[in-house]
Amino acid sequence: MNRKTVRWLPVAVVPVVIAAGVLIIPSQAGAAVTLPDKSAQQVLELIQNSTVRQLSGEVTQTSALGLPALPTGAGAPALAPGASTSDLGASVAAPDSTDATQALELLTGSHTARVYLDGDTKSRVQIMDQLAERDAVRNGSDVWFYDSKKNAVTHLTLPAGFSAAEAQAKAAAEAKVVMTPTELAKKFLAKIDPSTTVSVGQDTRVAGRTAYTLVLTPRTTDTLVGSVAITTDSETGLPLSVSVEARGQKDPAFSVAFTTVTIGAPDAALFRFTPPAGATVKEQALPALPDAATVLPNGTTLGDLNPGTMTGKLTPEQLNELKAKLPAGTPVPVVTGTSWDAVVSLPAGTVPAELTGNKLFTAATSAVEGGRLASSALLNVLFTTDGRVFAGAVPLERLQAVAATK
Amino acid sequence: MSLNSVSTARSVPETDTGPASPSGGSLLRSELIVLFRRGRTLAMLGALAAIPIMIALAIKLSPAKLSAAKGPPFLDQVSNNGLFLVVTALLISLPLFLPLTIGVVAGDTIAGEASLGTLRYLLIAPAGRIRLLLVKYAGVAAFCFVGTAVVAITGTLVGLAFFPVGRVTLLSGDTVGIGEAIGRLSLVSSFVFVSLLGLSAIGLFISTLTVVPVGAMAATVVMSVVVQILDALPQLGWLHPWLFSHYWIDFADLLRQPISFASFGENALLQLGYIVVFGALAIGRFASKDVLS
Repeated sequence: MNRKTVRWLPVAVVPVVIAAGVLIIPSQAGAAVTLPDKSAQQVLELIQNSTVRQLSGEVTQTSALGLPALPTGAGAPALAPGASTSDLGASVAAPDSTDATQALELLTGSHTARVYLDGDTKSRVQIMDQLAERDAVRNGSDVWFYDSKKNAVTHLTLPAGFSAAEAQAKAAAEAKVVMTPTELAKKFLAKIDPSTTVSVGQDTRVAGRTAYTLVLTPRTTDTLVGSVAITTDSETGLPLSVSVEARGQKDPAFSVAFTTVTIGAPDAALFRFTPPAGATVKEQALPALPDAATVLPNGTTLGDLNPGTMTGKLTPEQLNELKAKLPAGTPVPVVTGTSWDAVVSLPAGTVPAELTGNKLFTAATSAVEGGRLASSALLNVLFTTDGRVFAGAVPLERLQAVAATK
Repeated sequence: MSLNSVSTARSVPETDTGPASPSGGSLLRSELIVLFRRGRTLAMLGALAAIPIMIALAIKLSPAKLSAAKGPPFLDQVSNNGLFLVVTALLISLPLFLPLTIGVVAGDTIAGEASLGTLRYLLIAPAGRIRLLLVKYAGVAAFCFVGTAVVAITGTLVGLAFFPVGRVTLLSGDTVGIGEAIGRLSLVSSFVFVSLLGLSAIGLFISTLTVVPVGAMAATVVMSVVVQILDALPQLGWLHPWLFSHYWIDFADLLRQPISFASFGENALLQLGYIVVFGALAIGRFASKDVLS
């Protein structure tokens, strides 16, 4: 080898070393994991018996729903101001008009968030945007939201009657926060019924921890959901990731997973939030839960509908009972089907004509038999020509069938 | 800036280096002296120092109060807290001004000497071509450091002079005292300095390819612009983690509470990769080429 060739040697060696590093490090991390065999039932019990209430971790959420990517922070007008008020339950009014856009933005692309939990009453979620951050801090009955782009703080005081779970859900909805794998896994597991096949998948490693994989597969073909995979820490039963596969799509349509997780109490200072000087602070009143005196759209009160038994706050079961008793003509969403093939239908007139007459709406939907369809990997929404709306994680045919029966 | 009008005073190093075998240290010292005495370098540092000054004047003189969520991030914060001027100035100079000045310095390293005919003399001394490359790279790295420091220090001083200074609001909404804020700003500056090292290595390599320094300078600057455009195209997502500008604005992770060093580490590793690859290319090219001028 002559001198000149020797000089070029590093050029040949360096890329090889880098390529080796890039290929070997991930393959070691993803090396096959073998855990003691567990049945699906045992894994479910492992999750249910999980006692992890304190953790710090980083969560990555990715979506490939087939929705167009929205520019972050775009000041687009609210897309559906009334979207969250379809339920009779208390719903916090959207703090401002760009919130719907922000919520939609969370459903596109990928997002990273840091999550800190300490028991059921202390939590902090930080969505790490580029050069910005959105925070939701809960400490007992105080909930703070901070948006660094707007330098704006919103403060909520939760009434004493709020259960921890309700408060959490409320906080998550308000902050338009990335859901943690734990919360999402709970939602899916609560829905397990005979229409779902539950099986144990390959053991794996998530966030550096060995994990069991639980695969939920819908038995029906009348749904867009192919399967849902939930991984759970083999040691503590903490759900570490959830990924939802859509039928006919290779990449998961939606996934949320811990990339790092540390079990143990986070620094208590993280939950003490003081609005920074110079920020705009808004006190947000939390609407009271409906009670006997709540006036319905038709002028009657909830107490009138249910004489004698209405005391204090309503349970969700009572709410459903009441919905059934509402006089005809009250726009109430109706759910057809009970599991994966469930379709929510809204009667005519619920969606304002300005929305459906909009050019943007026409561009975002396609004409199908019986109306217009807004379609994504996991959700189809059919706007029928007579003004009704049908939505569900189901194929178009199922929406059309439900629409035809009414 | 005219290139020929700038005289590279090679007489300076020769006076304080041994004639036969200059040590690496003295070679580096003479390189730094030449670099930082050059009018061009001083002019570029002056231009960098002008960035925070101009931002401060613009904010001070503009009658309307900036509303949040408009304009570049952090800009609206400056009038509340002068220390944000540092972050704003670094953010504004990172995509173009800093790469521009680094392109000029890095592109000039070898090609500049070759075009002036001084490269031959540098190589007559048995210092070794690799050592000369190392010294040249150290010179560019020193410029990256000084350039970043000039923006950061001017930003701090002007911020202190023009605007109120108090507890600094981090991205997470928590506030930190001035001491910790200055610490964090130093970390941000270090992040920016490290971010520029990969581009410097590319510039050094390009400079070994030609004897026309302007060509090497322009090519380096173009590289930086092209890579940033590629980084902005969502269709090339698979390529993004490999682009040297990919983690540049992640310096914001140092302004979160709790502080996150993950992107600092990733960025440093990526820049190291660029230094090794383009350093190897530069060595291969420079050590094997015939120096004719």
